[in-house]
Amino acid sequence: MSKVTTLEEAAASIPDGSTVAIGGLSMNSAPMALVRELVRQQKKDLDLVAIVAGMAVDWLVAGGCVRRVMSGLVSFEGLGLAPNFRAAVQSGQVAIEEYSEHLLICRLQAQSYNLPFMPTKAGLGTDVLGLHAESGAVREEKDGPTGEHYVACTRLAVDVALVHAHEADMRGTTRVNPKLVWMDNEIVNAATRSVASVERVVDSAAFTEEPERTTYPRFMIDTVAPAPRGAYPCSCFPDYSHDSGFFTEYSMATRDPEEFSRFFQERVVSPDTWEDFLAVNNVSTAVSA
Amino acid sequence: MSTPVPGYDCTIDELMVVTFSRAMSNDTRAFNGAVSFIPVCGYLLARRTHAPELVWAASSIAVDADPDEIGDSTLSDSLWGGASMLSNSPFDFWTYAQGARYNTFAFRGAQMDAYGNVNNTVIGPYDAPKVRLPGGGGMADLGAMIPRIYLWSSTHDPRTFVDHLHFRSGIGWGDGGDHRERMGMPGGPQLCITNMCVFDFEPASKRMRLASLHPEVTADQVQEATGFEVLMPDGEIPTTARPTAEELHILRTEVDPTSARLREF
Repeated sequence: MSKVTTLEEAAASIPDGSTVAIGGLSMNSAPMALVRELVRQQKKDLDLVAIVAGMAVDWLVAGGCVRRVMSGLVSFEGLGLAPNFRAAVQSGQVAIEEYSEHLLICRLQAQSYNLPFMPTKAGLGTDVLGLHAESGAVREEKDGPTGEHYVACTRLAVDVALVHAHEADMRGTTRVNPKLVWMDNEIVNAATRSVASVERVVDSAAFTEEPERTTYPRFMIDTVAPAPRGAYPCSCFPDYSHDSGFFTEYSMATRDPEEFSRFFQERVVSPDTWEDFLAVNNVSTAVSA
Repeated sequence: MSTPVPGYDCTIDELMVVTFSRAMSNDTRAFNGAVSFIPVCGYLLARRTHAPELVWAASSIAVDADPDEIGDSTLSDSLWGGASMLSNSPFDFWTYAQGARYNTFAFRGAQMDAYGNVNNTVIGPYDAPKVRLPGGGGMADLGAMIPRIYLWSSTHDPRTFVDHLHFRSGIGWGDGGDHRERMGMPGGPQLCITNMCVFDFEPASKRMRLASLHPEVTADQVQEATGFEVLMPDGEIPTTARPTAEELHILRTEVDPTSARLREF
């Protein structure tokens, strides 16, 4: 049975209120085509897990899709703060559950390995731990025999992981070229279900010929949605880099709410298909393989 | 903006990069995070001058990268040219970091305190922030793991150097004294390089202490621009050493020909 479907159907399978983990690292390889579909379908009350994120979180917040963000970092790096995320957290419209990068990775690993917690020294001595005092989601402990301090990071259940990759076959075997996945494997391993948008769907022979280059086995990827340039305006190394121009125009537009609303509709939400979206943003789909 | 350093034939960003570079050595094994133009320039310069064996993983990913120029992001692929390895996050990077195979990391915050702890999470109360900042990212993790921590700031003023952080996103020397040691953390902050001066950390209290003043900056001016009491060294305070013509030439023509470092100023 083919796991290949459209971006629309892949997004439609995600109910309101889901815990959705978003792949990528800052401006690298975020699953933007899938995220755009979530915005278009006006999802509500999503709890996002976004370890080191930027534009994907900002689109979902701008689209009114988000209840809570679990994250270590949300920014546009040197191009500025993520404007809608910043405003929504400041106004209390969106809740933030504060982590560091590695605390969140460890919670996902505890989930993946089916262990009560994963220990790390990350976060020791910071104010991040105090924010979790009530829930105990991450908590400082001391190892009895050695007296060493560590942070116990408890399981974090994720309903669906969204990642962007280079190639998949119809059975869901998926490849990132060649293996640069940042934390994406952590969210795929932790999630009940995973959706990969891919630059291209390839024949299964592409994997059997080079099995050492496979990133995710087919039993870990449930849905494959073709999306050439599917990380735009983020990068998909080595095929294409992030588009600083889009980040800058987007940030400039947020200075005026009406202008942003117009920009967001015209440049992000309104185009009917991903190909239309790329055309509106003057992005060529001629991607080097 | 590029500000000239009186008498030095260079600008303040260049002086900061060279000072950072000179603090590195052949056994430095470093990596970088977001918006880290000064350290990135510093690692590349050190490798091209006195520390050819220095290890630097661009964006914490691309080991031994040797980019033609530095783009608008220190986390993006524009920095990865010439790498000998593109490493993955959990099984490569976090292993090398937790095991202190990587031994050097530089971070900065919107706020920094006397102990080199940093805030990059909120300005104002956490529950009702005046400004929501990006978050601590990896600094909460790496502050506890990496033995040689370096701080820098291109905005030396009382808003940045504060007595009390609004939020401690990343740990430097913590509460000072033997706090890190008690927590089982290796090393700690070594230097803080700013646009006015260089701080080291007084060995007992682990508080920032004036190590050198940039040309024509006075200790009084540093104290005025700092929201906590600055410790003074015994004896005369040295002037931050002058960059050599070779260092400046390599920085300007090979390391950062497009002056990406000015994105921090």
